[in-house]
Amino acid sequence: MKRILPALALVALAAISAACSSAAAQPVASGPVDPNGPTIVAKNMAFTTSTVEVKAGSNFTLHFDNQDSAPHNVAIFTDSSASQKVSVGEIVAAGKKDQVVPALKAGTYFFRCDVHTNMTGTIVAK
Amino acid sequence: MTPRSSLRPLDVVIRIAIVGLTLGTAYIHSTLGGLLFTLNALGYLVAAVAVVIPLGLAIRFRWFVRLGLMGYAATAIVAWAIQGPYYSTAFIAKGIEVALITLLAVDFARMDGNPVNVIKSELGLLATRLGRRPATGQAGA
Repeated sequence: MKRILPALALVALAAISAACSSAAAQPVASGPVDPNGPTIVAKNMAFTTSTVEVKAGSNFTLHFDNQDSAPHNVAIFTDSSASQKVSVGEIVAAGKKDQVVPALKAGTYFFRCDVHTNMTGTIVAK
Repeated sequence: MTPRSSLRPLDVVIRIAIVGLTLGTAYIHSTLGGLLFTLNALGYLVAAVAVVIPLGLAIRFRWFVRLGLMGYAATAIVAWAIQGPYYSTAFIAKGIEVALITLLAVDFARMDGNPVNVIKSELGLLATRLGRRPATGQAGA
């Protein structure tokens, strides 16, 4: 038992430190809030909008409206493999949050909720 | 160390803390919505009951409940470390689960002794029931 406790502690520390390093690597954008930016609504454990169109080449403000009591966010990735992050919004429960997204090149992007990864959608930059 | 079934005051305190932590992480998971988190919360709820319920079967296999809950919490931590998301509530839940695993390990050591010996003993008993070889021992409450 004396050997198991330190091993358990090490495993837990490794898992948490790995999680912390991943969290620190999340991209952050800042800038003025654009009231005309697109809105994404989360309701009944789904995004009500599956496709959002934005202007390519300039920053935009994404208005996120979480109408669920469960926590959600909008995380944008280059594609559905969700391996390369573009912008990660703050996780909020039952509230609104503005998210400044850096300029996107023309193309199609994937977004999801980081808590419930089955909640997905597409952003088309034109 | 011989497994024991009587509870000392410190054992009661540890058991209460285990139930509290288990219910705490169950509650956090229940607020997250979605089938996976709800099932996870239900799993913790069942485990919290199994840790203390005074039923003969539960008492006989309390050692297994402790190991199972440790494995369950460890799996939840590893899955979260891989998948995320990394935000304040998740860090609180994982902190609770780390504390839970630690207390379960302490409880196991106090009540059952060395887990390797317990598992060997239980396998011996199982083999006896299957008519292969004689039993060597029994786990505590």
